[in-house]
Amino acid sequence: MLDAGLLNAVLFLPLFGAALLLAAPAAHHDFTRRLTLGVMTLQFVLTAWLYLRFDSRTAGLQFETRLPWIADWGVYYQIGLDGYNVLLVLLTAFLAPLVVASAFTAITKDVKLFYAMVFLIQFAMMGTFVAQDLFLFYVFWETMLIPMFLLIGIWGGERRIYATLKFVLYTAFGSILMLAAVIYLVYSLQQTTGVISFAFADLVKARLPLDVQSWLLAAFALSFAIKVPMVPLHTWLPDAHVEAPTAGSVILAGVLLKMGTYGFMKLGFPLFPDATHLFTPVLMTLAVISIVYGACLALVQDDIKKIIAYSSISHLGYVMLGLLCLDLAGIQGAIIQMVSHGLVAAGLFLMVGMIYERCHTRELAAYGGLAKLLPVYSVFFMILTLASVGLPTTSGFTGEFLVLLGAFKAAWPLHVLGQSSLPLVLAVVAVTGVVLGALYMLRFALGFLYGASKAPHQPLSDLNGREKTILGLIVVAVFWLGLFPDGAMRKTELAAKAYQQLVSSSRLPEKRP
Amino acid sequence: MISRDVLLAMLPEHLVLLGIVLVLCLEIAGRWQRASLAVALACVGAAAIAAARLSFDGYSAAPFAGQFSVDPAALIAKAMVLALALPVLLMSRDDFDGGEFPALLLSSLYGVCLLQSADSFLTLFLGLEIMSLPVYALVLLAYRRPQSAEAALKYLVLGGTATAMFLMGASLLYGSSGSMAIETFSRALGSADNLARAALVLIILSFFLKAAIVPFHAWAPDAYEGASVPVTAYMATIIKAGVLLAVVRLFGDAILASPLLGLLAVLPLVSIVWGNLAAMRQQSFRRMIAYSSIAHAGYLFYAMLGDPAGRLQAVAFYVLAYGLLNLLAFAALPAAADDRERDRLDNLKGLFQRAPFAALMIGIAMLSLAGIPPFPGFVAKFLIFKNVIAAGHVTYAVLGLVGSYLGIYFYLRVIQLMFMSPDASVAAEGKAQRLALGASLACLAAATLVMVFPGWVLLRF
Repeated sequence: MLDAGLLNAVLFLPLFGAALLLAAPAAHHDFTRRLTLGVMTLQFVLTAWLYLRFDSRTAGLQFETRLPWIADWGVYYQIGLDGYNVLLVLLTAFLAPLVVASAFTAITKDVKLFYAMVFLIQFAMMGTFVAQDLFLFYVFWETMLIPMFLLIGIWGGERRIYATLKFVLYTAFGSILMLAAVIYLVYSLQQTTGVISFAFADLVKARLPLDVQSWLLAAFALSFAIKVPMVPLHTWLPDAHVEAPTAGSVILAGVLLKMGTYGFMKLGFPLFPDATHLFTPVLMTLAVISIVYGACLALVQDDIKKIIAYSSISHLGYVMLGLLCLDLAGIQGAIIQMVSHGLVAAGLFLMVGMIYERCHTRELAAYGGLAKLLPVYSVFFMILTLASVGLPTTSGFTGEFLVLLGAFKAAWPLHVLGQSSLPLVLAVVAVTGVVLGALYMLRFALGFLYGASKAPHQPLSDLNGREKTILGLIVVAVFWLGLFPDGAMRKTELAAKAYQQLVSSSRLPEKRP
Repeated sequence: MISRDVLLAMLPEHLVLLGIVLVLCLEIAGRWQRASLAVALACVGAAAIAAARLSFDGYSAAPFAGQFSVDPAALIAKAMVLALALPVLLMSRDDFDGGEFPALLLSSLYGVCLLQSADSFLTLFLGLEIMSLPVYALVLLAYRRPQSAEAALKYLVLGGTATAMFLMGASLLYGSSGSMAIETFSRALGSADNLARAALVLIILSFFLKAAIVPFHAWAPDAYEGASVPVTAYMATIIKAGVLLAVVRLFGDAILASPLLGLLAVLPLVSIVWGNLAAMRQQSFRRMIAYSSIAHAGYLFYAMLGDPAGRLQAVAFYVLAYGLLNLLAFAALPAAADDRERDRLDNLKGLFQRAPFAALMIGIAMLSLAGIPPFPGFVAKFLIFKNVIAAGHVTYAVLGLVGSYLGIYFYLRVIQLMFMSPDASVAAEGKAQRLALGASLACLAAATLVMVFPGWVLLRF
């Protein structure tokens, strides 16, 4: 009971913080910054406590709250933690104080509005993860758009208006079709079972014919695939990342992109298992294309933000591959990879932001030999680069390795039995993504850290205490997930099994004799 | 007992009438004219409370059998429309000093109330005309501008056309059924009689004209632009509410079937798409809202495709959410010395720097009108499309949703101008508006309540 209240507190703290900001004096920017940092830190502490209290042997929802919201339509305010979301909630809460701290010096315009927007997006992201009711989920899912629209549009770079409109119009198009699918799904559930409910737990019981499943999955998948993003729906991402302020990029890469893969894992695939089975070859191919194509694009970028943006597309392709192969190791790898990418990409974007604040350019060619100019910076940068490449002992290794292991484990029997060799081919191609990943990250690090010393703005000051703390925390988390992944994996194991079971079992309507 | 029912059932109308008489008396007395606004506010407020009380008590009566009846649903609809008129009155202080605005507005409101209780075509016609006639004059009230005369004339001529179509339809229907009761309309929906069908089409088209559905929409942008802000707000919210609630009453419990289904689905769909597309190119705030209201009329007519039992709920909730947020936008619109400058969208550039509160209010209103959660406009749109899908019209629902997607761009453009553009006000600052601020706060509070407790509101209808 107390813990359930705590989860509500975690969810609503940012909203409360935004309300506090309204009352805060406009001129005292430092007060605003500290207040935001304090509230976000408190949120993380509460979340960490919940994470420790989370029982890995319980399959269902924990810390659950369920109150009628629109009782007439079976809409409930239902939130809770389970193996699906517990790590992502922790990640969201962990990154927030770092994002806030990173913006201390970078944001000087409309400071109050900025932190209010960070609060709002934090609220919406938290809500999307903890929601256990489809209506509530959709509300939070869409609410995320507004603060992100403003974050990119107000504090972004030169082409910010174009980038932010592209982001919103892209995502909103997916959402509007998903809305139609949501309504149709609930209506079908009511038709077949007589129960009118938006609860995830009820919706996964819906038995739908294959054509209906396929249409609904297509609508859900469009929305989620835009968010992930999967090739060919990825074109909004580089623009949004390049134009967004550092904090926006970090939120985008760290948490927002995981909404797409989380949506697939929690809703898309488990709700429509038969259609998923039908679409798996297409989706898996797209996932592998995302891995390779994203990596190839990252290889040829001149803008350092774009390199990381395209690497995100590649890394999230692994998550999709892991979710689709339906092997337990692969699924768990996908979950770890989500968190790992959240940490590493966030860290890299923070580092790009730090150098941008000093030199005001993102062109790779403008930099060189930073290892001599900025030794501390370079150490952190190298660690995060290696984590991104997937060096053992870092979180990147755990995720990618498990995903590829799962992909091969699932593909081999199919190949041997002569059913299909496509998964095996795809798994082999996916491995080349790891090589390409090493190539583009090392090209980046080589040009950046070694060679003749040059920087557009000298003398450069190395990282200050605030920046060291931010990066230090991320690096600790990266190693924690790389060296001791069992703790995190135990918490998600039952959810991965439940997911595997839900997606593997057919749920077509029962044939009447 | 009958006289008691006459008194009680028409209590909201009587209170509005009392307000009209008092305002006129003040006008004749030639003194205390500034009090007329307070009198109007008090009377409309009392009428809204009376209607809500009667509804909560479950009161229903038919004081004039076959002509006028009330039931809890009709009463709560009246209460809602009357309550929506309060912010309009509040924000009118800045544009109108005398008694003419409250008097005309209250007269029009009387018609809107009458519409919600009409049982025969006679009462319906009375309600429509009492609602519309004062509005022609209201548009003309901003007579300092030549455009308003043109707008009023256009509105009058097209309104007259609608009236003629309605009367023609009603008489044809009478010819085919021999009765003036509005049930003949819903009964005729299922009949194959050509005379009845022609009557139905004429009546539906007259309502399309009143609600500005494409291709009968051309008057709306001119009238909205030509009128002054409170009048535009009134037309965009309460007139639309009155017309659509009357349509719900007219359709009764009839289930739509082709070929009328096509008429009632395709034209609103075209309205949604065209309204949203045309709004993208507007430079004037009021013209933009006019096209947005054309699209919203489309959503509202979509509600007719749904199950009869859910129509009133869907329309009433939509009108409430749409009305509150539209009024919020109008009330928060920054004042300017010159009305035409005030209307230019460019005037909103950098508004957040000048007036953060107003910018936030307008921003919230735009997001809600775009149907983006968590704002009330989303739940309203959700409800309509839920009913349409539940009635089996999945294709129309998907097309309508895609049409509503087109609207997101121009609502976001307003936010972009306010928050992301450098401060470039084109209009000279106007005098501060205390009452309009009150109106916007009231709308915001009400909208927040609707947002947090939509379930409670939905149960009322």
